[in-house]
Amino acid sequence: MSSIANLSVIRKLVQIATFVFFVYGGLITGYYLEDKISNALPALSCAYDKNGADLCTLIPIQHQMDHRLGEAIAKGGNLMMGIMPTLITLGTFLLFFVFLNKAFCGWVCPLGTFQEFLHMIGQKIGLNRRESLDNGLVNRIRPVKWFILLVLVFGFPLLTGMGMVNHDLGDPFCRICPSRILTTLATGDSSQVFVDTANSTTIFFSLLADFLFGLMVALALTVRQPFCRICPMLAMHAIFRKIGLLKLVKSGTPRCDRCGLCAKACPMDIREIHTDMERRDVTFEDCTLCGRCVEFCPDKDVLKLKYTFFPVFTSSPEYFKSRKKAQTKWEKANLIDWLKKGRGKPQVENP
Amino acid sequence: MNRHMPIPILAVSMLLTLPVALGAVETGTQASEPQPQAHNNHRGPKQLVLENGLGAKVTLWKPDLTTQPVTPEHGMFTMPKTGMDNYHAVIAERDWGNLKETVIRYEYQFGKPSKRSPSELAGTVKTDFEIIPDPIPREHYRYHSNETWGFLLRLHGEPAQNIPVSFESENGSQMKSVTDERGYVSFRLPDDFPDIVPGERDRRSAGFTITAETENAGITYQTMLTADYRVAPEHWQSTQLGLLVAGIGLITGGLIGRVKLQGGKKK
Ligand code: SF4
Ligand code: SF4
Repeated sequence: MSSIANLSVIRKLVQIATFVFFVYGGLITGYYLEDKISNALPALSCAYDKNGADLCTLIPIQHQMDHRLGEAIAKGGNLMMGIMPTLITLGTFLLFFVFLNKAFCGWVCPLGTFQEFLHMIGQKIGLNRRESLDNGLVNRIRPVKWFILLVLVFGFPLLTGMGMVNHDLGDPFCRICPSRILTTLATGDSSQVFVDTANSTTIFFSLLADFLFGLMVALALTVRQPFCRICPMLAMHAIFRKIGLLKLVKSGTPRCDRCGLCAKACPMDIREIHTDMERRDVTFEDCTLCGRCVEFCPDKDVLKLKYTFFPVFTSSPEYFKSRKKAQTKWEKANLIDWLKKGRGKPQVENP
Repeated sequence: MNRHMPIPILAVSMLLTLPVALGAVETGTQASEPQPQAHNNHRGPKQLVLENGLGAKVTLWKPDLTTQPVTPEHGMFTMPKTGMDNYHAVIAERDWGNLKETVIRYEYQFGKPSKRSPSELAGTVKTDFEIIPDPIPREHYRYHSNETWGFLLRLHGEPAQNIPVSFESENGSQMKSVTDERGYVSFRLPDDFPDIVPGERDRRSAGFTITAETENAGITYQTMLTADYRVAPEHWQSTQLGLLVAGIGLITGGLIGRVKLQGGKKK
């Protein structure tokens, strides 16, 4: 295998292509919502980006909770009619999701791609980056995505529709979503970076959104995928991951005990890929099916990406060797080392 | 009980507007927010006012490009329920022989997904001389003051080039422009709502008209597009403050990154 033609490079190219398509593709697909691809994409391609090719599933869900189900409950209307639009949205979401499963995160999502590229910039500048977060911290962060999904995507919008909270809580996740700011900024529109002084709810959410966006950008330079860890779309994916056709599977061997390279390679710090020896389907709830664990597993056929019954990418010692070499070379090249070299100081080798 | 709208300079004597109660105040989420697929703050029947419209033929164009005649009573009519979601066009036409007048208005109606893009409705020739929003504000969006929006003028389906076009707002602003070789003209909607309180959300809306006149084969064509626009959200949304807060987030993230890295596993 050539050292640059590896899965990560292919994935990066796919990510760039999907980023361009979903952020600017509306220029081809069309401007109106009816022209968009699904209106329920399993990735944070944002509805606020008028040049976008599609929109994420979370926005229709919030509005349906508010204007359909919530209002149906409040007015004592037909609950079936109230829930129907959400079922249609979920059906559309699943139609897409089934094909790629959680790879919508690892390969398609513009916000995921943005964070990965920021991390590459952090590496190229020569910033000290966090290899993995502590287990305790990872454990504490994991429930946040479920909380955001339940409270911000379903809960508050539903209560808004039922008339129990103020109307500005009808779409609270969109109000803090970093993809809204990223994708609009990427099209030259700065109107989504604002502090909204209309009332205390809008002040709170707009402050939080801007702060979160800045925080995510800075953290992504040194920590892998900081926002993904709390993303409600990741939680949505987790619910339906068993029906996806693409899967990560493991045939653990006793050698796994002494290794753990897969967990180190994982951008989401899923240590269970290393420790779990029982399960075959190891598409864990935080997995984005990026395939890095397979790339960095040195053992033959232990980890595999499988599409239905067919292995599409399998771990092997040869691939591992060449991939490791490519990674070391890639990490050596950074601005700080280059400057130090220029000044004649000894170069600090990255491990 | 229609809203006060000054008769435009290039006089199309008819006028198609929302009645004051619907047009002036709207409740619900901010207009700047996209709200696909579910949105029913004003799902009830929509009423329109046709002023000076005696003898005019009124037609409703549905998203699937079928049409339906509408009969105003005392200058008012309720948009017929079509069961289709998306933009509909209402066109009032009057033929005086050597003068043809047209007023067009695009209104969103709720119903089952029409599965038709508003680009089809906009692209279809609906009358001899028409002004088409290019684009129509995307589903659930609105026109706002301080935004620039484009319009296409078409005569018998062909671009109407070098035609003087007038803009007039209910708040008293007037502008003039001329179409280019594509029949395109754009206007920056005026920030002309009176008594704006900085920092306070303002949900007022007002009407505007775009009018044009041309002659062809001895017939004078006058056309008008009417629509509503709202107060620009920047009166209560500050981008500078937003950038400042994002900057604070950036610094905080940088600090957390530094502190957490001390002693942590580094790369
Ligand atoms: S703001 Fe976020 S959640 Fe809302 S539509 Fe955009 S990407 Fe989806
Ligand atoms: S988890 Fe990350 S990659 Fe997946 S949808 Fe959320 S932001 Fe995008």
